[in-house]
Amino acid sequence: MTDELLVVRCRLGEREAFAELVRAWHDPVWNYVRRMLGPSRADDVAQEVWVAVVRGLPRLKEPGRFAPWLFTIARRAVADRLREEYARPEIPLEEERASADPADPVDALVESADLLAGLAGLPVREREVLVLFYLQDLSLEDCAQVCAVPVGTVKSRLSRARRMLREQLTEEGYR
Amino acid sequence: MNPDDMIARLSGPLSLRRRIANVVALLGGLGGALFVGLLWATEPALPGRTHLAFGALVALGLAWAGYGAWALSRRTPLFALDRVIAAWLAVAATGLLTAGTATVAVAKGTWTGMAGVTVAATLTVLAVAVLLRARADRAALLRRKRELGG
Repeated sequence: MTDELLVVRCRLGEREAFAELVRAWHDPVWNYVRRMLGPSRADDVAQEVWVAVVRGLPRLKEPGRFAPWLFTIARRAVADRLREEYARPEIPLEEERASADPADPVDALVESADLLAGLAGLPVREREVLVLFYLQDLSLEDCAQVCAVPVGTVKSRLSRARRMLREQLTEEGYR
Repeated sequence: MNPDDMIARLSGPLSLRRRIANVVALLGGLGGALFVGLLWATEPALPGRTHLAFGALVALGLAWAGYGAWALSRRTPLFALDRVIAAWLAVAATGLLTAGTATVAVAKGTWTGMAGVTVAATLTVLAVAVLLRARADRAALLRRKRELGG
């Protein structure tokens, strides 16, 4: 069953459809929150996300675009928790703008559990795009919508995140 | 936490009974406040304590209406079916209110009574419009559900 059909059924008021929607998307949301905030706050923040989803569903204009809408809400919940850390000014690095290169060896590593642990060491903005793009399989356009930034900024953040991750893994002995 | 735990935690916002209770609080509070207010306004020469009692009743009704409005806008959303149910309740409540205010207006024969009937009748028309809109929105969603194979 597609997300759009589930969302339409939820908007009709079918409670079972909402249960199916939660079952389908609970793990991606929970994992996103856990990777952004750590396991101790994941349950509470994930619940905040789902409560916001319940409240926002009747107003969702495009049921077919559920995933980016969901992660926009999740991102907002995470950002609320990280507001102080988020105050860090971003330094634009135009020279780092590049599309995600599937041949990059870091891309292959990104699936490994060791690397997932390394995500916690990245700054929030870089960690966020890495999680959304590689682990949640969102497109660059969807990442840009979720983060409320242009696609070029997502690319530059991805590029910077890969470089930082590579440096971090190299320091820790991964080759 | 697994998905079923999360669903259990969301039982509050997902409770149809709770959402309809908020609608009833809004309609009951507003209708009650308007009706009591009309009685208060059309009753000549009341003692001080009666004014106080009428004022308290109106305030109570408005408080319930405010709570219902706040809960519906901030806490518990109304889905398509809920909106149809809520609109029918609104039509029934405003219909009763119109009948009640018309009775008062006929008995008292004052301009204030007529003004009350006008307000109640306007609310009834508004409720009917909301009902038509809610039914159309639900029909559109049902159509889309069928198109998607649901």
